[in-house]
Amino acid sequence: MAKLAAVVGIGQTHYKTRRGDVSIAGLVREAAVNALEDAGLGWDDIEAVIIGKAPDMFEGVIMPEIYLTDALGCNGKPMLRVHTAGSVGGSTALVAASHVQSGMFKRVLTVTFEKQSESNAMWALSTPQPFSVHLNAGAGGYFAPIIREYMRRSGAPYDVGIKVAVKDRLHGARNPLAHLQLPEITMKEVEDSMMLWDPIRFLEACPSSDGACAMVICSEDLVAESPKPPAWIRGVAMRSEPTMYAGREEVSPQAGRDCAADVYRQAGITDPRRDLDCAEVYVPFSWYEPMWLENLGFAPEGEGWKLTMSGATSLDEGGDIPWNCSGGVLSSNPIGASGMIRFAEAARQVRGDAGAHQVEGARLALGHAYGGGAQFFAMWVVGADKP
Amino acid sequence: MAQPDVLSQAFELGFTYTRSTGPVVGRFLTGLRDRRIFGIRASDGRVIVPPMEYDPATAEALDEFVEVGQQGEIVSWCWVKQPRASHPMDTAFAWAMIRLDGADVPMIHCVTAAAEEDLATGARVQVVWAAETRGYITDIRCFELIGE
Repeated sequence: MAKLAAVVGIGQTHYKTRRGDVSIAGLVREAAVNALEDAGLGWDDIEAVIIGKAPDMFEGVIMPEIYLTDALGCNGKPMLRVHTAGSVGGSTALVAASHVQSGMFKRVLTVTFEKQSESNAMWALSTPQPFSVHLNAGAGGYFAPIIREYMRRSGAPYDVGIKVAVKDRLHGARNPLAHLQLPEITMKEVEDSMMLWDPIRFLEACPSSDGACAMVICSEDLVAESPKPPAWIRGVAMRSEPTMYAGREEVSPQAGRDCAADVYRQAGITDPRRDLDCAEVYVPFSWYEPMWLENLGFAPEGEGWKLTMSGATSLDEGGDIPWNCSGGVLSSNPIGASGMIRFAEAARQVRGDAGAHQVEGARLALGHAYGGGAQFFAMWVVGADKP
Repeated sequence: MAQPDVLSQAFELGFTYTRSTGPVVGRFLTGLRDRRIFGIRASDGRVIVPPMEYDPATAEALDEFVEVGQQGEIVSWCWVKQPRASHPMDTAFAWAMIRLDGADVPMIHCVTAAAEEDLATGARVQVVWAAETRGYITDIRCFELIGE
């Protein structure tokens, strides 16, 4: 039986196009120091460090975790790197949580980052291989046909993605850490933006950001030593499946459905739309909101877009289940950290510490990340109430 | 039945990147451009060259820069008898750990010498600057024995 664990510190950097003023070490350090300060702790209070980032080829630094030990105060302590592509921010948080839930560690620091301004994430993501045609696709090129299939099946109107793009940027405008600050964005502006990978327009895609996110996770008996309210970890789940196999359901992957069912069961959630107060879900391309609304059980199959269009997921429209109040991946995308930002922002909500993007009275929130060809899933449910 | 051809093909994969050095390593490199060498003082008082951003013992951020000498002594070395194309020298030389005057830890660089027998632990060396300094570690062309 897992022991209780909680998030007692959260630290983020401002997400920006370029942080040329710091090294990679300086970037991760900033988030880590912010998390320790938030938790009222110092380096000596931390027993282990769990770090995550996207594949090494993105920044061209092989095993950067090795050179980051000084910056993260883990000389002489266990350090572990997690690799699960775009979901790595989420799975890194879960590996850190499991260190505490196992009873082996009392306090763990977990950090994720990406410095996209110095990287080559777009092309390192889809490398040419001998004997194959190189698609030069990038992430958007991979997901666009899957989105088109969703549109065909669901009969969703063409502007659902446009609505999500606007909604998440308006959320992001409430969050001073968000990379994109577009408080005046309109549906027309999104619709008129360049078509990158049909049906994904420029403003329906995530930005490229520099940034880092960190959390301190501790055991039940040490929670009171940190000054701010904890976010109790109520459920944790990871699932994976191959990128391709005959008959794979790519629009609503089985691994995502199974992962959600597992995390809901642990947290006692039977109807996620009703039981959760908000969710931070990995939506790097606008149409993934309606798709994940269905995959995660917030709406019946084929009807996720109706929630989006009704304003149910919008904080500004007073929706009953706001998604990505922080602005989401569509507003900030330091790839390796993006999943952890979802997890951390879910925790901020239930700590009542989300500032201008706070969902009033939030008690239970979902953090979600996916990666690879939508084949790695990581989720947690955090709550204000101790289970 | 005929054996099928088993195909293989070499391929190259390459990307371009940028790297920001940050305030500590950046200071060291811009120092080299000005033909000066900076270390940093650690929590235990040692002067570390090249400087580190964070203290190896306490993890605190370090910011007390200390200029060190352009002469020092060889701590240890490895003689390269037949340099290859990618080596920094085209005649025989040594990779060496050199403790600069005022520093408490050695740094690795190369030393020119007429023969391996001229090298010794404790032998004094001095910096030879490159003709043009640009803020690279190669601004230090090499070290040479003093009095050679």
